[in-house]
Amino acid sequence: MLWIGLLGIPLVGALVVLLLSERAAKVGAAVVAALEIGVFAALLGGAAPSLNLAWIPAWGVRLHFAADGLALFLLGLTAVMTLVAICASKASYGRAYFFWILFMEFASMGLFGAVDLFLFYIFWEAVLIPIFFLLTGWSGEKGRAAGLKWLIMNLFGSLFMLIGVVAVAVIHNQTTGSLSFEISQLTNLPVSSFAAPWLFGVFALAFAIKAPLWPFHGWMPDAYGEAPAPVTALLAGVLSKAGVFGFLRVMLPIFGAELHAYRTGLMIWVAVSLVYGALMALRQTDMKMVSAYASLSHLSMIALGIFSLTAAGILGATFLMVAHGLMVGSLFLILGVVEERLGGREFNGLMGLNRGAPRLATYFLFFALATLGLPGLPGFAGEYMIMQGLVVHAVGFAVVAGVVLIVAAWYMVRLFQGIMQGRPDHPAVADVNVGQVAWLVPLAILVAVIGVWPAGITGHAVPSLYHAVHFAVAQGGIN
Amino acid sequence: MQGLTEILILPLIGAVTIGAFKSVAPRRLAGIWATVLVLASFVFAVVADLHLAGLTAGHREITVTLFNWVTGFGPPIAWNLYLDPLSGIWLLIITGVGGLIHLYANGYMADDPDQGRFFGYFNLFIFSMLLLVLAGNLLILLIGWGLVGLASYLLIGFWYQRPSAVRAAKKALVMNTVGDVGILIGLALLYVRYHAVTYSALFGAFSHASPGSPFFGWVAILLYIGAMAKSAQFPLSGWLVDAMEGPTPVSALIHAATMVTAGVYLMARLYPLLRLAPGVAYAVAAIGTFTAIYAASAAFFQQDIKKVLAYSTLSQLGYMFLGVGVGAYTAGVFHFMTHAFFKACLFLAAGSVIHGLGGEQDIGQMGGLYKKMPWTMVSFLAATLAISGIPPFAGFYSKEAILGQAFNSGHDLLWMVGVITAGMTSFYMFRLFFLTFFGTPRNTDLYQHAHEAPAVMTVPVIALGVLSVIGGFFGPWLNHWLRPAFTAYPGAPHAALESGPTVGTVLAVGLAVVAFVVAYALYIRRAVPARAGIERWPGRWMLAAYGLDTGWRDVAVVPLMAAGTWVRRQLDRGILTAVVGVANGIWLWAEDLRPIQSGYVRRYALSIMVGLAVVLAYSLMKA
Repeated sequence: MLWIGLLGIPLVGALVVLLLSERAAKVGAAVVAALEIGVFAALLGGAAPSLNLAWIPAWGVRLHFAADGLALFLLGLTAVMTLVAICASKASYGRAYFFWILFMEFASMGLFGAVDLFLFYIFWEAVLIPIFFLLTGWSGEKGRAAGLKWLIMNLFGSLFMLIGVVAVAVIHNQTTGSLSFEISQLTNLPVSSFAAPWLFGVFALAFAIKAPLWPFHGWMPDAYGEAPAPVTALLAGVLSKAGVFGFLRVMLPIFGAELHAYRTGLMIWVAVSLVYGALMALRQTDMKMVSAYASLSHLSMIALGIFSLTAAGILGATFLMVAHGLMVGSLFLILGVVEERLGGREFNGLMGLNRGAPRLATYFLFFALATLGLPGLPGFAGEYMIMQGLVVHAVGFAVVAGVVLIVAAWYMVRLFQGIMQGRPDHPAVADVNVGQVAWLVPLAILVAVIGVWPAGITGHAVPSLYHAVHFAVAQGGIN
Repeated sequence: MQGLTEILILPLIGAVTIGAFKSVAPRRLAGIWATVLVLASFVFAVVADLHLAGLTAGHREITVTLFNWVTGFGPPIAWNLYLDPLSGIWLLIITGVGGLIHLYANGYMADDPDQGRFFGYFNLFIFSMLLLVLAGNLLILLIGWGLVGLASYLLIGFWYQRPSAVRAAKKALVMNTVGDVGILIGLALLYVRYHAVTYSALFGAFSHASPGSPFFGWVAILLYIGAMAKSAQFPLSGWLVDAMEGPTPVSALIHAATMVTAGVYLMARLYPLLRLAPGVAYAVAAIGTFTAIYAASAAFFQQDIKKVLAYSTLSQLGYMFLGVGVGAYTAGVFHFMTHAFFKACLFLAAGSVIHGLGGEQDIGQMGGLYKKMPWTMVSFLAATLAISGIPPFAGFYSKEAILGQAFNSGHDLLWMVGVITAGMTSFYMFRLFFLTFFGTPRNTDLYQHAHEAPAVMTVPVIALGVLSVIGGFFGPWLNHWLRPAFTAYPGAPHAALESGPTVGTVLAVGLAVVAFVVAYALYIRRAVPARAGIERWPGRWMLAAYGLDTGWRDVAVVPLMAAGTWVRRQLDRGILTAVVGVANGIWLWAEDLRPIQSGYVRRYALSIMVGLAVVLAYSLMKA
């Protein structure tokens, strides 16, 4: 039942919003998103239920959703960030905008909940559509180009992934005689040594493009830059997690042996991505690009935790996905407020907005500190667990990650100081208004609570993650 | 709970309430509220220490576990609080000296329109520092460690409209992050081996280990990097001098009395680990000694009253590390305590001077102020005698204990450098004292308007001045008090205070007196101006601290920025261009196919892919 609510509310809600007047759409969408948070709360309270119905019997495809420890808090992240993004959006965007936002919520919920590989693929494709329309319809002048880049690059990846999906099921059929896309049954496949790297590669490519990880981030600068701040917040906060989530949901059970075999190479790749993002973030003069490349760097950190194939690393990655979603989503929303006040995204030198907007500066600093991994806030907890995983048998990577943490402190402080501090050379800007405080304060409290008590999430996530981790251990990962 | 949570929570309440209500509450209220809370925390700290004293010597520790911090990948890591005699001393200094500095700041910041923010940050700092020393495991320590770095960042950049303050704050945060990362990796390595990060579990395990394995060496180095960054040991020292951009009470509290001694605390806390890594222990002592003489010489030509004190802080921290590094743990902690007294006194007195001169910090503009500020002058003199190691002032006893034990333990070279540094300390401190308070006023206009600070400022200064006089007599008591902490685990056979050779004492005090006479002759008799010697080598070089900042810029900042520019200009542009090229290609291809097919790129591509999938599947099944 909960799953029907979780998927049905945003989908039906999206359609209802289309019927509302242009002016009522924002309120209507917010009500739908709030209901969705209610359903999530019920999910959190009770035993995690699953929905398992036959869908296409001929292919063995099932409508199978589950809120296991891996997915549970990503569902919550989606629910929270969608409501916040709606609150932070302009009512004048109109009902079509809010329709697509709610549709994206529906698609993301399905994506994070699907445990049937075919279903996963359907939702993987479904999330492309709302972003495409939001980019082309409500963005800056380069929005259309950004939308096309987003669509083409992601389609490029996911169409190859489709080959993989079909191939995996066929191989499974070949060995067991039954056709199934159930991820938990697709383990230990006897993939030939010729096909294995190719199959692994098509999935990895799709996931790397969606995250994005270097060098597959070609769509990112335009999309993050041109989209309205709430859409960027959802892209960077929620959808970017789909990419790294794929490694955990799909790769770990199906390609555990390959992950183990290619581990060093994969870690070198994401370590390059990690450093690359940090260096790029250090030299940007467009405030959204600092945050965009910082996000690229953090996603690489998450991937590094996964590829460490240790319990701590995988748990840290799971935790950091949720924490990063909240932190970087909030940061993009705040940058949206700043952009609106300034009328541009360039920052250079010290612009001194603090004088007119001290409270905006305070929230900005809080989320910047959370993002740079200040001990006591959730970024630190996630990074600690990933480090804990890395030192087990990849101390060199831990050192690289450590250096990147230092650079992260540098670029985040540079961003904050550049915008907020110094002597203002232009008229004072307005501070945050009541409507903005209404979503900033709950977000800040949520981030602080998760930072002080990460066990609240890790304790919940562990029982079902244990399966994944146990599998990684069985494949040769240690600890 | 024995009040541990109360000690912690009071300043946190202050930080939160001031942050929330500073715009609606009366402006002066924030300072009073913040001070009351810190003093209340001091009372709880005294009660907790008394409780600790009541326990039997073998079990003198209080542990509190609040709730789990993280679980899931091994044994949980919890919010452990831990009080033993070592952290007990730090508690008293943080809340006691911290309370006095809070009181003083009520006067110093009275005219600042933003004082609510100041006191909010100040209480946040006290909370963070208390968390650091009350932590029962390395992870919670690291959280406190990071938060004091944050408070330091916020307070250095308090006057955010000054570009120099903003730069100094950034530098402090980044350099401190270097240390955070060191501790992070170090504790992660310990967790892998011992599945715990609590002190009791780790030290218990260390007791059975034998020294010399590379594992302990690496872990000790990583944790020492954390201590270096926080305590501004060479070469991570540049940020502390720039940190003087913050309001003077900040310099007194954070950048002299408490936060910068966190590294000393960590090294003293980790004495069972240093036993296992004797090489690192020697490095701690050697780098400390080098920092001491390096900073003392850099102080010779400084023109800014606060920068002289900043370099003297660096130098004294070097002594503390020398003590800890040679195993003289009690002596190191003793010097931390006396230093908190006399250095806080010096900074607050300097703050009174700056306040009385309307913000002037250049000692070239001062002189003759003893007539205008007698109380400040007397307190400053007491603290100057203390830092110069003149008996019977506080610094004499603690410095002697460190040097004596350096000699006893056979570190002749370090001992010698330490003795020479003692003489240098006396010289630059009396140079500062004479230039500030004696001689003829060099800026008559400023001199005319100079005035003694209000009572709310002079009372804490005098109190700290008195402590600078008598602080040395606490030695035997401290020795007794700390014994259980340093005998709980093997590794500190010479932790107790020892006296060194008489010749050493005579030498150190003699040098200090000679340096005093030289300073007197130069700056009073011959009235040498403050700026003498800074035009030429070596004065110019020493003024710039031997170009350490330039070195860091050339070694770290410039290459990193250049790498960032190169990545951005060359690599990222290439990737983005390639993407556009591929996208355009696909788009054109799709456009070409439009007349033939239904025209939707997606459906067409999909059919290709399905076709490929079928082919692949077929070949796999055949294989």
